[in-house]
Amino acid sequence: MRAFNAELSKLFSLPGIWLAYLIGAIAPAAISALESMAQKEEILAGVSTRLSEVGYIGLALGVQGVIILGVLAVSSEYLTESSESGGGQQITTSLTVVSSRFHLLLAKACAVTVTSILLSVVAIMTTISATHFVLGEYTPAFEVSKLIGAVCYWTFTALLAFGITVLTRNGIIPLAVLIINTSVVSFSFLLSKVTKLALYLPDRVGIEMFMFTSDRFLTPFTGGLVMFAWVFVLFIVAAIVFHRRDVAA
Amino acid sequence: MLEINNLVKHRGTHEILSGISFKARPGRVTGFLGPNGAGKSSTLRILLGLDRATSGSALINGKPFAELHNPLATVGASLDGSGAHRKRTGRAHLRWIARAAGLPNSRVEEVLEIVGLTDAAGQKVGKYSLGMGKRLGMAAALLGDPQILVLDEPVNGLDPEGIRFIRTFLRERAESGNTVLLSSHLMGELAETVDDVVIIKHGKIVADGTLEQVIGNHSSLEEAFFALTSEKAGDTV
Amino acid sequence: MRVPSSKKITLILGAELGKLITLPLTWLTLIGTFILNLFLAAAFTSVGLQETAGTQSILNIGLASMGYLQAGFIILGILAACSEYTGGQIRTTLTTVPWRGLQLSLKHLALAIVTIPAAFIIAASGVFYTFIRMRDTATGLEIDTMLAAIAGATGYLTLTTLLSAAMGALIRRTTPALVILLGYYFVVSPLTRDLLPGLKRYLPDTAGSYMYMPLSSEEVNVLTALQGTGILMLWTLLFIIVASIFYRRRDA
Repeated sequence: MRAFNAELSKLFSLPGIWLAYLIGAIAPAAISALESMAQKEEILAGVSTRLSEVGYIGLALGVQGVIILGVLAVSSEYLTESSESGGGQQITTSLTVVSSRFHLLLAKACAVTVTSILLSVVAIMTTISATHFVLGEYTPAFEVSKLIGAVCYWTFTALLAFGITVLTRNGIIPLAVLIINTSVVSFSFLLSKVTKLALYLPDRVGIEMFMFTSDRFLTPFTGGLVMFAWVFVLFIVAAIVFHRRDVAA
Repeated sequence: MLEINNLVKHRGTHEILSGISFKARPGRVTGFLGPNGAGKSSTLRILLGLDRATSGSALINGKPFAELHNPLATVGASLDGSGAHRKRTGRAHLRWIARAAGLPNSRVEEVLEIVGLTDAAGQKVGKYSLGMGKRLGMAAALLGDPQILVLDEPVNGLDPEGIRFIRTFLRERAESGNTVLLSSHLMGELAETVDDVVIIKHGKIVADGTLEQVIGNHSSLEEAFFALTSEKAGDTV
Repeated sequence: MRVPSSKKITLILGAELGKLITLPLTWLTLIGTFILNLFLAAAFTSVGLQETAGTQSILNIGLASMGYLQAGFIILGILAACSEYTGGQIRTTLTTVPWRGLQLSLKHLALAIVTIPAAFIIAASGVFYTFIRMRDTATGLEIDTMLAAIAGATGYLTLTTLLSAAMGALIRRTTPALVILLGYYFVVSPLTRDLLPGLKRYLPDTAGSYMYMPLSSEEVNVLTALQGTGILMLWTLLFIIVASIFYRRRDA
């Protein structure tokens, strides 16, 4: 519990973490507002085919905030980019404070989980307000089950970012891969045209939890389950690698 | 010759340096002393053109750093840390510096030999110990064989052998007519190396003179330092 | 301020080149991008072959990966600029070369020298791969058009790299710079493309894309390759100038 508190305070005092909170709170709302504006005419005329996706699209495309959160939580332990620091890595301090590596990783993962749940709740609130602001009474009702799906999607995505960064120890690759992959031109979407297996990739199944009402591939619940399986496996792999590795290497 | 004239530096609303002046003369080793956060590094950074002074000037042979014709051959500087990218090898680091100043690669091997890093030159800087990083910084400072050396905490993290090497090396440089300015808070070490002493506290100079003058009636440099820095603290209350 | 001689400029350029090529991350990024691009070209080609054969042009498919490919070059640009701030290297740089504006310009020039051949090889390899896989099914291809498109792609990638480097020099930290640029190129820009199509002619990536995209007659408001180049160049210059102004003024 003390390790968890320590990780939580580390997470809130990171340089650059403000970017994660800012993007997390604003990006989904901005995307939803833009999308609603573009769809407004069709919605008012009652011919929109994407009414059920309005709002959720922001939550699907706006997850960069938690990606940054998950990546920074780990990469900050390894990287020092200040002109004054002599190249010390925080990870050595962290491991002398909490000697069990598994506990450290678990505490960190819990801190990331809690923070991304909070961030996703904030994002949902700003997104719903933004959609209401644009569409007024035409705003489609937001179902609780789908919103819970969105919270799960955000949290799992943060944990995926976290797990990948534990493996790479460098924020650049996970940031690039995950940000591109959550965009409208994702790798998974391209791959899914080549092989159906790509539909089981974590971001594809995760989105099933609250999007794609028309041509769905998995039910929201199975989608969430498959994404959780990805997160779980990645966490186990990360824990094993983290446990075996020399810190300084 | 290094001249600091009435240097003032503000960072936000905080005044880091409030009008300091001193000189470092050729042929002498000048020690720049002060507690942590007194403004030593800020002064050296302004002297090297890294930071801008709010007012006042820091001149090297009468010119600001950025106007020097060939900076590397005029001033050799080593600030805190190695000043090198972690993923580069020590040799690659020195080579790009040498290239910028138009020095041959053989000069890189010479300075590696001087600081005793020849064997570790092929390793990445990230793998270096604190002392090795310090030696690399020293090697970079010596590349252009400059008349002036500006060193921030040169013995920090060095092993006893390294400390003795720095001491004799700096004495030799000064005796052959070069200017050496070094900051430190290791009193015992400093007392063995320097000719002149400048003590800074809270951005103000509290003592400036030869080693004998600054020590005065105190038994050692350390005693003088504490007397000066705590005495002044009493004055400001 | 004294104007440094041309000999000095050559020396500094040499040093900047030395810095870039002795940084392992430069090579890792370029090799990674090269491999990734071949995978993407393979994926796009498979998709292209599944669709009605004959209607797809090799160029369209071979350069379809450009959207992803630019990420590698964005990373390259940011690394080149932000690596100065690792381990306090910036202090060494500025005590060796105190002429800041000149140093930053030459850094961009060195980066361009490294990027141009790399971008050419990577862009050409994608097109070449597609050509090998599709030469039987696809419509004929003129060598001139192909070279022009690859040259355009090279120019686009190089300018994007320089723009990213300027952004990196402005922000000085890898992660925020990466988030802002990737966020723009992969999230903001695709969205504005659909929602505010009027802006398409003026944004650096969409205007720049006309440098390599084969002209299609259906679209209105298209730019010629030259106009696209001009607009992207203006953006790049703007960022470099802003970065130099900040670089010269602030404490290192």
